[in-house]
Amino acid sequence: MRHLGLRARVTAGFAVGAALLASSMALISYDLTRRSLLDERERTAVRAAYFDAGVVRIGLNTDDPDVVEVLRSLDTGSSRRPLLHLDGSWYGRTAETAATSVPAALQQQVRAGQPGVQRVQLAGQTTLLVGVPLPDGASYYELTSLRELEETFQVLALALTAVAIMVAGAGAAFGWYATRHSLRPLTAVADAAERISAGDFTTRLAPATDPDLTRLSTSFNDMVDQLARRNERDRRFAADVSHELRSPLQTLYAAASVLTRRRGHHDERTATAAGLVADEIGRFQQLVNDLLELARTDQPAQRESVDIVALASEVCQSRELPKKLVQPDSGMPTEWRVDRRRTEQLLVNLLENAVRYGGGPVAVRLSAVDATGIVEVDDAGPGVPVADRGVIFDRFVRSRAARARGGTDGTGLGLAIVAQHATAHGGHAVVVDRPGGGARFRVELPGSVE
Amino acid sequence: MTAVLVIEDDDRIRLALLLALEEEGYTARGAASAEEGLRMQRSDPADNVLFDLMLPGIDGFEGIRQLRRDDDVPIVVVSARDDTHDIVAALEAGADDYVVKPVAIKELSARLRALRRRARAVATPVAVQVIGDLEISPEAGEVRRAGAPVALTRTEFRLLCELAEHAGRVLSRQQLLQRVWGYDSGDERLVDVHVGRLRQKIEAEPGNPRHLVTLRGLGYKLQR
Repeated sequence: MRHLGLRARVTAGFAVGAALLASSMALISYDLTRRSLLDERERTAVRAAYFDAGVVRIGLNTDDPDVVEVLRSLDTGSSRRPLLHLDGSWYGRTAETAATSVPAALQQQVRAGQPGVQRVQLAGQTTLLVGVPLPDGASYYELTSLRELEETFQVLALALTAVAIMVAGAGAAFGWYATRHSLRPLTAVADAAERISAGDFTTRLAPATDPDLTRLSTSFNDMVDQLARRNERDRRFAADVSHELRSPLQTLYAAASVLTRRRGHHDERTATAAGLVADEIGRFQQLVNDLLELARTDQPAQRESVDIVALASEVCQSRELPKKLVQPDSGMPTEWRVDRRRTEQLLVNLLENAVRYGGGPVAVRLSAVDATGIVEVDDAGPGVPVADRGVIFDRFVRSRAARARGGTDGTGLGLAIVAQHATAHGGHAVVVDRPGGGARFRVELPGSVE
Repeated sequence: MTAVLVIEDDDRIRLALLLALEEEGYTARGAASAEEGLRMQRSDPADNVLFDLMLPGIDGFEGIRQLRRDDDVPIVVVSARDDTHDIVAALEAGADDYVVKPVAIKELSARLRALRRRARAVATPVAVQVIGDLEISPEAGEVRRAGAPVALTRTEFRLLCELAEHAGRVLSRQQLLQRVWGYDSGDERLVDVHVGRLRQKIEAEPGNPRHLVTLRGLGYKLQR
């Protein structure tokens, strides 16, 4: 399972905390309210019952009283119903008020002269039952429906639940907001690291005003300083090496050209030796250039608008290859935002690779998928064995197949440079089988097509 | 016979270059420092100058600047340094072209040929052009700004003529490389730096050009 992000976890924590707090507050207040309302209601009901019982007692104190009429005369409204137990018979205002409404325990208690209050369920309704003893073993009961009160409780419960949910939501929102603030320094570090990895070594974190963050910004900036120094040292070293290697090469180059020009004046052995020197100087120069190119790692691609079709055609032409090799995908934008030098070199290296090891290029295919520009060079060779595909872009690797064909005149760095240029654009290089035989070298350059 | 002056402090490189250039049919002379080279160029001007950058005494950048004060001879920098910074600085000092060591003699020879072709004459004779307060006379090889003559190197002059010939239309860097430098493909920084130098000379506000404008991603245009 994927781990939740810090921010999501903090937000969830805030939400759960707020929900717990709000719901316990809601439960307590519901309970307190319910109790006090019920008590209040009970006191009212008891008071009313005693009053009514007094009225009934006076009514019954006459000779031959009409019990039903006495009960009817009570001013009970619609919420209270009187019930009288007199001489073993039950009297109520209406017939349906059955004796079974009153639990036996309460009947006993009241008959024994003890008033009592009990809550009972009658026909699915909570009802308050108040029993008042009357003289001569009679008992007066009053049933008070609590339906309205129950409804009030339901509304209250609903309102409190809604409040609890809202508080939980507010807690989550607060957590989200608070983490955004507390994570801001981390966001700044991430942004700075991104800029640095893109090659901008002037990026520094603003000195923290928060003492808790001073260490972070100081050590981060120190790290960038060191990185920039090392980068500068590497760059200077590459420049020095280049100078030291290139100067004698210039002498060799010029001297060898004199030897080549004067081939006719030499005997055969001298001419062969001179030819070898001239050829190897060319290869040596290529090696030096390739090594320096690889030494210039980490430098970001200098993107500009480049007509990729024109560039590919120019490269083909400069390698004395037919321009019609270039096959742009129909409808593909021809202006790509890429590093011109790097793109040109990767095209050159892929074409040279195809010429040297792949029996010659058969197509340079250009296409675009979303924002990614794709360059593919197809060759007519035997393809690259699956086992070699992973390492073919490594330095100084020539595939077995390439060696078998005696292809040792390359530097073994061409494809490594291709991979490096692809990486500088945030992309990568792969080799696959070309449908119909041969190899297909594919370079993906993300962010190059708008 | 075309005379080439090679200013290079490394004795072996200088000797090898002189040998190879002579083999290619040039009359080649060498100087071991910028001071010596400037003296030789003044007393007996060559048709092309090859300049190294790392020189004892005054360096190549300053040497080129001094030479440019009164000489528009085509200058090619031949340096082991391939930093963009160095290339731009050398071109800004007034060099016409820049090659990185080691350069094949054939390639060097081709560049010198292209430079000479360009230095010799304007390709197509065109009438005097007036662009704002600029007056360009291709055949006379003269440019006047508000009546006063403007000193341009041959490369700058060619560049201006090429843009003037297509006034109001955009020329891409590659097109300019082909037409002005005679290269099928090359370093576009050559164009950028020369356009910058040209602006310094023909624009009232080089930082905010009115006539020689850049069209991002497309190239340059000369407009009235």
